[in-house]
Amino acid sequence: MSLLKVNGLCKSFGELRAVNDVCFEVRPGEIYGLLGPNGAGKTTTISMISGLLRPDAGKVSVDGGDFWSDPARAQKIMGVVPQEVALYEELTGRENLEFWGRLAGLASGEARGRAGEVLEALSLTDRGQDAVKNYSGGMKRRINIGCALMHRPKVLLLDEPTVGIDPQARANILEFVRKLGAEGTAILYTTHYLEEAETLCSRIGIIDHGKLLAEGTLPELQKRLGGDQLFVLEGNLQQSNPDAWPKFHERFRVIQKSDHQLVVSSQTARHPSECLRDLLELPVRVENVTLKRPSLNDVFLQLTGRELRE
Amino acid sequence: MLWVLLWKDLRRARRNPWPYVINLALPICITALIGLAFGPSSKGGPEPIRMAIVDEDDSAMGRFLRGAADSGDFKKRMEARFLGREEALKEINNNKTSAVLIIPKGFTQNYLTGKGPLALELIKNPAQSFYPAIVEELLEVMVAGLNAVSRNLQADLPEWKEVLAKEGRPDTQRIADLVVRVGKRFEKAEHYLFPPLVRYTKSTQQQKTGGDSPAMNIFAFVLPGLAAMFLLMLADQAIRDQQREVSTGTLDRYRTLRDKLLPFVMSKAVFAVVLVAIGSLILFGGGVWIFGIHWEKPIQMSALVVAYGVFAAGLMAFIGSLTRSERRGDSVNSMLIMCLSFLGGSFFPARQLPAVFREHVVPLMPNNWFIEAVRELQGGGASMPWDWAVLKLVLVGLAFMIAAAWIFQRALTKGVRA
Repeated sequence: MSLLKVNGLCKSFGELRAVNDVCFEVRPGEIYGLLGPNGAGKTTTISMISGLLRPDAGKVSVDGGDFWSDPARAQKIMGVVPQEVALYEELTGRENLEFWGRLAGLASGEARGRAGEVLEALSLTDRGQDAVKNYSGGMKRRINIGCALMHRPKVLLLDEPTVGIDPQARANILEFVRKLGAEGTAILYTTHYLEEAETLCSRIGIIDHGKLLAEGTLPELQKRLGGDQLFVLEGNLQQSNPDAWPKFHERFRVIQKSDHQLVVSSQTARHPSECLRDLLELPVRVENVTLKRPSLNDVFLQLTGRELRE
Repeated sequence: MLWVLLWKDLRRARRNPWPYVINLALPICITALIGLAFGPSSKGGPEPIRMAIVDEDDSAMGRFLRGAADSGDFKKRMEARFLGREEALKEINNNKTSAVLIIPKGFTQNYLTGKGPLALELIKNPAQSFYPAIVEELLEVMVAGLNAVSRNLQADLPEWKEVLAKEGRPDTQRIADLVVRVGKRFEKAEHYLFPPLVRYTKSTQQQKTGGDSPAMNIFAFVLPGLAAMFLLMLADQAIRDQQREVSTGTLDRYRTLRDKLLPFVMSKAVFAVVLVAIGSLILFGGGVWIFGIHWEKPIQMSALVVAYGVFAAGLMAFIGSLTRSERRGDSVNSMLIMCLSFLGGSFFPARQLPAVFREHVVPLMPNNWFIEAVRELQGGGASMPWDWAVLKLVLVGLAFMIAAAWIFQRALTKGVRA
């Protein structure tokens, strides 16, 4: 049974349709990645799931119960890590943890004890008494996550928790999140970093312009491109038109085409050497052909016609 | 819950107190400036008049004036210094003295021998108005006295001159004879002089409250008005923290844990009331310590301060819920506070405003209720009973708070920020 289920979620701001019929679910111990560029609707989706915004349509179920029927119950189960570092800079890391713990319903002594545990889990015990304003970006991010864990939530929503920090701090956070997932927490993780989604998430939903375009495990998404191989042809392709090439579309699917590069996948499961021979016979002067495994970016490219990094 | 939120805000304010400290230091400084500019402090009096005397005669008249200038009472009122002519004129040019009196050479000799007419020279400082005029009046009295002495004792003056001019040991026998003769002349004039035809009586009005610290001095009048304005600014500073919590994302984080916004808004209001109360303690306590103000009825004053804090917090929360961003709130609130202060009587008594404001606008200004009630408690002749002011301030403040919480929650849930 899923701990978090989102069904037909919609939200508009005036003329702008920010989220359009988004559906997915997150099961215990699963890290579900919501991948999309900035402005895709990830934060609006998380805002509706966490109760910050009321959806225009659709339903959010947390542990089997409708969120808006009993928000207090859902909030007790859920922990939210906002995109910005939502901490009080004048307070120490420990004071922040204790404060958010108290707001989440912990008693004073309980919050104190739990703050110690969280600081240890985040490897911040020795800096717990320092004011947050004196922390590095990575440390702030870690405390930002810790504040959402004080009441031991079953569902954790992480909205781009690694934005703007160095690679080492990011690796630490990803490792911590992975550990939380392994302990059974259902995690919804939004990101626009492909590598994070590829290495961290058990399932991934690709979102753009408010619509969930595809979802599944990484291999499932890669399969959408017709296998686990992509062929990259490089050369002067300005004048070339694949539609005019005989039998080309029967054998290959165009993933991306530019003046200097053509990315294709095979329509059927064939040996790469066979595909390579077909490609070299094309009526175009090719300077280089490379074979690569399809990435999430290629999936995104195929779904939206543009790269995620654009 | 309220305590947890309040504890957090108080701790943050303690770690970063400067925005609040500035709002507390300013009214004390301004009150001091206004008090010093427009009125004496409750302890001091006017400065003594500074004048210079140029004794070119270097004779008995100069010595007489020198002795008089050193006497206790005269010294309290007038600081007379004996200088050379050039030095004295330089003092006038530098605005260091109010007037210069010049006793010309041979004045005493000619006075005692009755050679006339004689003239004393007075040079007044054109940069001053009152003090030189006072010196001139005093000189006129002195000249009238010298003339009276000369006319009545003309026959004895040459002999006085001889005695005074004699070098070495004074002839005491001769001085005694002269004094007796002067005494006899006064005896003859006694029935003309005593009892005098016109007399005057004098008394000093008793202060209403007594003691060393008058209840209503200039500071006690100015401070409540300025305090009303700066306490509003203090409340604004405290409530604006709500907008800061919006921009830092901590409010959103709160909303992911709690679905009701009222405790959050209430905690900010209580925080503002606590700051206003602490601010009032410092401002009005500073009034006692620095300016010697004696605040009447401290319990009623405290109730007024808390009620004013509720009003200030409510008003600022309400405006904050409408303006929504800290930057916009900053400019709107500053203008609002200045207008309220102007119409409420923070800068000058509201009764000085044009009739249309005085009759129709000022009575609606809650800050005016507070100012008038404080002045009423001080016996300053204002017309606002303190208990009525407390009730009105609390009711208006609570109404603003509830409206603010409702508007704020509605705007956030609708996703106005997004």
